[in-house]
Amino acid sequence: MRAVVVVGAGLAGVRAAESLRARGFRGALTVVSDETELPYDRPPLTKQVVAGTRAADDIRLAGAEDFGARWIRGTGAVGLDRERRRVRLADGAEVPYDGLVLATGAQARAWPGEVPAGVLTVRGLDDVRALRAAVDGGAREVVVVGAGFVGVELASSLVGLGLGVRVTLVEPFGRPLRVLGGTVPDAVAQAARRAGVVLRLGTGVTGFRAEGGRVAGVGLADGSVLPAELAVVAIGMVPATGWLVGSGLALPSGRVHCDERLFARTAGVAGVPDPRIVVAGDVAWCDAVRSVDGPVPLEHWSNAAAQGELAARNLLAGPAAAEPYEHVPSFWTSAFGLRIKSVGLPGTGDRVVVEEGEPGAEKVLEAHYREGRLVGAVSVNLGKRLAGYARRLQEERGGVAEAAGGSGAAGGSAGASAGSGALG
Amino acid sequence: MRITVDHEACDGLGQCALVAPEVFALDDDERLQVASDPAPELADKVVAAARACPVRAISVERA
Repeated sequence: MRAVVVVGAGLAGVRAAESLRARGFRGALTVVSDETELPYDRPPLTKQVVAGTRAADDIRLAGAEDFGARWIRGTGAVGLDRERRRVRLADGAEVPYDGLVLATGAQARAWPGEVPAGVLTVRGLDDVRALRAAVDGGAREVVVVGAGFVGVELASSLVGLGLGVRVTLVEPFGRPLRVLGGTVPDAVAQAARRAGVVLRLGTGVTGFRAEGGRVAGVGLADGSVLPAELAVVAIGMVPATGWLVGSGLALPSGRVHCDERLFARTAGVAGVPDPRIVVAGDVAWCDAVRSVDGPVPLEHWSNAAAQGELAARNLLAGPAAAEPYEHVPSFWTSAFGLRIKSVGLPGTGDRVVVEEGEPGAEKVLEAHYREGRLVGAVSVNLGKRLAGYARRLQEERGGVAEAAGGSGAAGGSAGASAGSGALG
Repeated sequence: MRITVDHEACDGLGQCALVAPEVFALDDDERLQVASDPAPELADKVVAAARACPVRAISVERA
């Protein structure tokens, strides 16, 4: 393999590039990014970067001299020709490859319709700069639309600035961080209220009111209008795969479908993997990442890091020698003084057992089961035992039968009801 | 192998404990605890744990 192209310079792409070199790849390495910024880490954006405690230079993942790579920044990929093995760029240039890493990540989901100035989305460093500039310019009435991880973290950071910013958090589907299931979403809601955030749960947003071209209010489905000098739309992300339409790769739900070894599947019934193309990070729809119901996308830091590394290794090894992706999902967030962590896919459970602490208390640990089998665990300020649950999830996926009383890991007695067999 | 943790940088996220629970663990207050003299055969896992740290607080020198 003489030339490898990595498309996307977020965590997954950077880890892939790094790993290619660490595994002895000495050929031409090109990293393509539509951002002009040097690669940076995203988790601090909505927290420390908004707060101003970490600057852009503190969150760099790589420098322009790293990995002996040719960096193409500020010019995204717009097309893929698999027959001629070329990536087409926005400026019309073509980059040939023998091996290709798809790590284009995702973009913030835009509001469906026109929005006035002062309505932002947050995904990258530029977005956070715009947000801070608006607040520093005097915006004090802020409406955050969407109480997923981005919306909740931003609401927390904004009220925590000490600038007197008033935040209203609107979530049409009920509870904040509802993807976690269990008792933690209610705890988050309570903590948010204590921090002074106004919650409007179960109410949809109908649109934005403008005065003089700038946002002045957010209209809700119940007819009320929230005053707003700034609004943040945090309604999820859209995988960045528009450029792959027509490439012949399978794109279920807009993500790139890949096999258990991270090779991209081609469209069609057989879904034969392309041995020259691997996939990593938010953009991937991986056969090895499953709930009981089938493959699920993972938009987690740890997944992007691990897939980036394995994708590079497997690309160099080739499909016959490639290793399957074995990863227990893990996630963390912090907001309103709650340090929340999860392993597995807790939100896919049908039963929640509070293992330690109590719902709404400062510390809580809960296990989530689906049809009697452990599917995940969530902690608030009590991450100590999560590693034990992660090990149990790993073992169950490997088909290891679980002895009565648990696996001996720190998961402890909660193992009693868990069965054996693969996750999905 | 020598493991050094930058406790200023460490945020108690516990990703290392998921990768190498034999060596890394969080305590009741989510502070990181590190086993004092891990077995040499755990070196690969410890290196992987360091790479899994989102704030790069762990460095490892192989023996």
